[in-house]
Amino acid sequence: MAMIQFKDVAKSFKDVYAVKGVTCDIEDQEIFGLLGPNGAGKTTLIMTMATVYNPTRGEVVVDGHSASAEPDKVKSLIGISFQDPKYDRILSAREILQWHGKVTGVEKGVREKRIDDVLTKFGLAGEAKKRTWMLSGGTKKKIENAKVFVQRPKIAVFDEPTAYLDVPSRLMVWDMIDELRDGGTTVVLATNMMDEADRMSDRVGIMSRGEMVQVGEPARLKGTLKGRDVIEMKLEAPFPELVGEVKHVEEVKEAHFEGDLLKIALSNGRELLPHMINLVTAKGGKVQSVNLKEPSLEDVFLHYTGTTLT
Amino acid sequence: MSSKPSSLFIIWVLIERDLRTLVKSPWILINRTVFFLIQLFVFAFLITKLASSLGFNYFAFYSVGAVVSTITSIAFIIGEDLFEEEEMGLLDYLLSLPFGHTLFVIGRALGGAVRGLIYVTPMMILVAYLDGYFSVVGVAGSLLVIFVLATGISGLSITLAMLIRNANRFDIMIALAELATVRVSAAIYPLVYMPKVLQPLATYSPVTSASDIVRAIFLPGYASEPYETVVLVLFVLIFFGLGSAFLFRKLEGGKFE
Ligand SMILES: Nc1ncnc2c1ncn2[C@@H]1O[C@H](COP(=O)(O)OP(=O)(O)OP(=O)(O)O)[C@@H](O)[C@H]1O
Ligand SMILES: [Mg+2]
Repeated sequence: MAMIQFKDVAKSFKDVYAVKGVTCDIEDQEIFGLLGPNGAGKTTLIMTMATVYNPTRGEVVVDGHSASAEPDKVKSLIGISFQDPKYDRILSAREILQWHGKVTGVEKGVREKRIDDVLTKFGLAGEAKKRTWMLSGGTKKKIENAKVFVQRPKIAVFDEPTAYLDVPSRLMVWDMIDELRDGGTTVVLATNMMDEADRMSDRVGIMSRGEMVQVGEPARLKGTLKGRDVIEMKLEAPFPELVGEVKHVEEVKEAHFEGDLLKIALSNGRELLPHMINLVTAKGGKVQSVNLKEPSLEDVFLHYTGTTLT
Repeated sequence: MSSKPSSLFIIWVLIERDLRTLVKSPWILINRTVFFLIQLFVFAFLITKLASSLGFNYFAFYSVGAVVSTITSIAFIIGEDLFEEEEMGLLDYLLSLPFGHTLFVIGRALGGAVRGLIYVTPMMILVAYLDGYFSVVGVAGSLLVIFVLATGISGLSITLAMLIRNANRFDIMIALAELATVRVSAAIYPLVYMPKVLQPLATYSPVTSASDIVRAIFLPGYASEPYETVVLVLFVLIFFGLGSAFLFRKLEGGKFE
């Protein structure tokens, strides 16, 4: 059985629906990337799972427990790193982490060790005693993430975990999320960064205007954009007769010359690349360089969220 | 992975958080202490001299009431904290943690009360000493009574925080509630000198009850009616109930609805 089941979950604020009937399963120990433009409903969906919002319709089942019927049971499984850091700004990082660990039932010895560990990893050992309101934006975000790393819950939710973070810190957070999953945690990762989603997620779900419009492995989703691969061959000179030859190949959707550059739009570009080069060469074309462009997760995102595809 | 903590542990952890934030804002403590001392040594001294012709030791009467009033107004702060937590979105975090809403309200109300108790314990000892009736049992008993009162006031304050969404309106309501509980009571002046219309209200005020019970413990010649204990306990139960009920309602509907 799936670890998290969203069953036709809808949530409205007054008469505005932020989430409009999402049905989707998240498997045990997977990293599930939740994508969608600003305002798509990612955070709202997460909040219904965390029992902070009661769904207007439908239900969320977490590890077999209904979030509305057994909220305490569900909450004891979940740890959330919120999009906007949520903790007492008057307290220090260490105090925040101690309190969070305590209230989520992490035993003292383990807790202190994990806190030291995560503070060191984030390079915050020196700032652990400062009141957090005076820390930088990225540092505040790290402390928010640190709560979940100290807790190590069965289900970890990260809402934009690397927003505001510098490059080494992003890599660190990614490693730590991977580690968390390897330890048995199911991860929900809401993000607007396609490289992050692509790199981290076993599967992604793309939300648009409150609906889950597509779910699948990043590679499979990219594959759904058939005919969107592009092979660019630079020839010694333009060779217009080649266009007709190339178009005979079934997978090719379109081909034309831009100067001495032959552009071929097709599906299965990677497999067909050697064949296309052979074909052009056999017809007398002198290939100087070749470039294969495959759809990125970004293209997938733009396609399914209805934003224009470039 | 972690184990599920017990209810008592959760209540303690919630109280601990309120204590930690208290320790980090010492100037509030200083502010209230100075106010208390000025009231006691300037205001009460003056009035006591004025009232001495009545053959009534106002200073003793007032000093007990001043401690009760102080803990009352400190207990109201917890609602302000909660209101601010909601405004800043911190409530989302707190409510995502593994405990029920009732436990949350109980923990916070007790947190507010324990904070108040920490503030006023030195005041209570000072007053007992000044009035010349110091005893460990007396002080402990009095602290217990005002702790119960503070728990109820915290519950009332949390109820208001859950009920009112507009920040200005909330500030006004808290100020009014504080005024009503402290002033419409026999905390700092005897009931008989109060306007006739307010007397019935003041008679059944939990602050009156707490003040009278503490005076009965401390001061010779004072007694407390049994119904006053009932009023105090009912007050606490009602506002625990209302506080958690409104928190529930707020969540059932979803926030900001
Ligand atoms: N508490 C709220 N009250 C009213 N409307 C809300 C509330 N929270 C979210 N919304 C609305 O619901 C919609 C979805 O918001 P949500 O925060 O879930 O989007 P998101 O996908 O997380 O966006 P982002 O990428 O910007 O974080 C938005 O139109 C937002 O204005
Ligand atoms: Mg969001």
